Amino acid sequence: MKELKILLILVVVVLVGYWGIEPYAHSVMHGEVKKPDYNYSDLKTTAATTGDPAKGKELFVANCASCHGLKNDGINPGMDKNAAIASFNVVPPDLSNIAAILDHKFLAAFIKNPQQATENPKFAMPPMAQLSDEDVGHIIAYLSSVAKKNLDGKEITIEACGRCHSIKYQKIYAETPAENLKAYLGKVPPDLSVMGKAKELEYLETFINNPQNGLPGTSMPRLGLTKESTEKVVAYLDQIADPHREQRNKLGMWVIGYLVVMVGLTFAWKKKIWKNIH
Amino acid sequence: MKFMDWLDERLAVRQLIKVMLTEYYVPKNINFLWSFGVLIMVVFAILVVSGIFLLMYYKPDSHLAFDSVNKTIMMDVEYGWLFRHTHAVAASIMFLVLYVHMARGIYYGSFKAPREIVWITGYILFVLMAATAFTGYLLPWGQMSYWAAQTITTLFEKIPFIGPDLVVWIRGNYIVEDATLTRFFALHVVFLPLLLIVFTAIHLYAVRIVGSNNEDGIELTKEEKKHGKGIPFWPVFMAKEFFVISVFLIFFFYLVFYQYKFAMDPINFTPADYLQTPTHIYPEWYFLAFYEVLRGFFFSQNLGLIAFVLSMFIAAFLPWLDTSPIKSGNHRPLYKILFFIFVADFVFLTILGKLPPTGLYAWLGFAGSLVYFAFFFALPIISRIEKKKLEGGR
Ligand code: HEM
Repeated sequence: MKELKILLILVVVVLVGYWGIEPYAHSVMHGEVKKPDYNYSDLKTTAATTGDPAKGKELFVANCASCHGLKNDGINPGMDKNAAIASFNVVPPDLSNIAAILDHKFLAAFIKNPQQATENPKFAMPPMAQLSDEDVGHIIAYLSSVAKKNLDGKEITIEACGRCHSIKYQKIYAETPAENLKAYLGKVPPDLSVMGKAKELEYLETFINNPQNGLPGTSMPRLGLTKESTEKVVAYLDQIADPHREQRNKLGMWVIGYLVVMVGLTFAWKKKIWKNIH
Repeated sequence: MKFMDWLDERLAVRQLIKVMLTEYYVPKNINFLWSFGVLIMVVFAILVVSGIFLLMYYKPDSHLAFDSVNKTIMMDVEYGWLFRHTHAVAASIMFLVLYVHMARGIYYGSFKAPREIVWITGYILFVLMAATAFTGYLLPWGQMSYWAAQTITTLFEKIPFIGPDLVVWIRGNYIVEDATLTRFFALHVVFLPLLLIVFTAIHLYAVRIVGSNNEDGIELTKEEKKHGKGIPFWPVFMAKEFFVISVFLIFFFYLVFYQYKFAMDPINFTPADYLQTPTHIYPEWYFLAFYEVLRGFFFSQNLGLIAFVLSMFIAAFLPWLDTSPIKSGNHRPLYKILFFIFVADFVFLTILGKLPPTGLYAWLGFAGSLVYFAFFFALPIISRIEKKKLEGGR
């Protein structure tokens, strides 16, 4: 019993120390992580989010296709990749699936004023002031009609992040060359291969939803992903950063099971040897 | 038994077994805290084995190190993650068992005559283990690896006259760089483990010569131990030891599989970047208390540095600070109180060491550092009091 008392003291000291250096220290260092806002409620826009897809296509060709392609509908960008990099320091995205991953209200506000929506004053795309509120709705309707549904986490991550971020452990490389990104954003965006380990998943979700909430002043633009796409991106980053989780959890049970048997056996042996010792 | 006879003629194994195991006695009144020396050796063995496997894929090159650890070992090699988790958790838990082992020695007065050599060699082992952990932590070349090495090596700059040159000499460059990584690698995998083995041998030899202390701190002769007050090392003591080891391993592998983040800090999964200082720089948990003493004297860097060095080494001088003739804390009421205050203070400093050193935390760190030293400086005084009491009682 005296030994149990010593053990109890030991356990209490270890638990207090652990509480201090893990949960408590983290709460002090990182503060509380803000909740993601999928309504993008700071964006006030009168632009429509739906309309006539056919009109939308005409508007798209006239207003967007000089920079953006739309492979799903056979539209090539008016500008080739290298020319775009030379003028913007970043590759304009192909917009085939954009309506499937972005929130439509965000998209409407973005088309009208990209700098405000992304919270990045240097964002490369100019505001499309010439489009009326209805025009924007038509374009979004068109984009929705061509977008592929049910993209998986990897596809969304490549669409949403792949122009700037590499994921080299998955052999995915940023579309825009590093030196241009540096000129555009001030630094080369970090590789995402083990980001799922480097950051808490909760933080990642908040950060992707609104980078300024995680890293005030960062040049990463707000992307306007829907809740579903954000969660899929986070799940994908988590899975590629820790590919052996299932194997680990399973092996862990076997090892601990084995050791429980060992505890039983060694305890029985100790009892036997110590029987005559008082 | 033919084979045993054959061996016995050549190596005197029967005699050896008697001297080392069946007729080596330890006191009966020792508790499971006396198992921690063996636990340290178990953890050390785990470190060596897992380390050898890591060594087969690790690349000591600042351009390759991070990927060799986080991609090759963690993702591509079959069960590579298991060896990395095991090695990282074992390194961390090593310090837990070391601290318990040392606290046991302090509480029961095991550092006192005739065990000064045991204590000093033990202390050397602690310092070597700290150096091994520090050099090893740089190897994955993550952000915290890099900045912890950068911060700690910078401390040497303050040494009068030779400081700045010494820093460059240690790093092999003006900043922590490839040259630093390769030399830390050499120290971590060859030189320091070799020294650890040598000093462990001396430590164990010394323990065998003077025998184990016990809960009451009253020395027992070999005859007393043989006749009732002791138990033979084999099989009696070891029977309990195996049980303790098994229980310990459950705890250990639970951490390896399910609770490893404390030993593999998320921030270290960001590659080292010498242009980007992290917001919070802190060492691994086992150095936090000493680190907090360094920061505790926030009003003077030089004072902080002196306090830091003193805090790391002052416990080595315990045999000469505490001269009370009574050994065990069980029979020293004053000492017992001081001891538990010291333990609480150590945990307190450890927790503060990870928090930002501002406002109230800075002052608490200062107070905690003073309490830390107060323990050691109170020892000569309470030794005097206890001596007086003993003389008076006679
Ligand atoms: C690699 C590191 C070490 C190893 C492998 C080691 C191993 C051992 C072993 C096997 C024993 C005998 C069993 C026991 O009493 O637990 C022992 C005893 C002892 N060790 Fe260590 N030890 C290490 C580090 C230290 C350190 C850092 C200290 C203190 C600064 C220390 C101080 C002592 C003392 C005082 C004893 C005698 C305890 C007694 O008889 O009451 N050792 N050590």
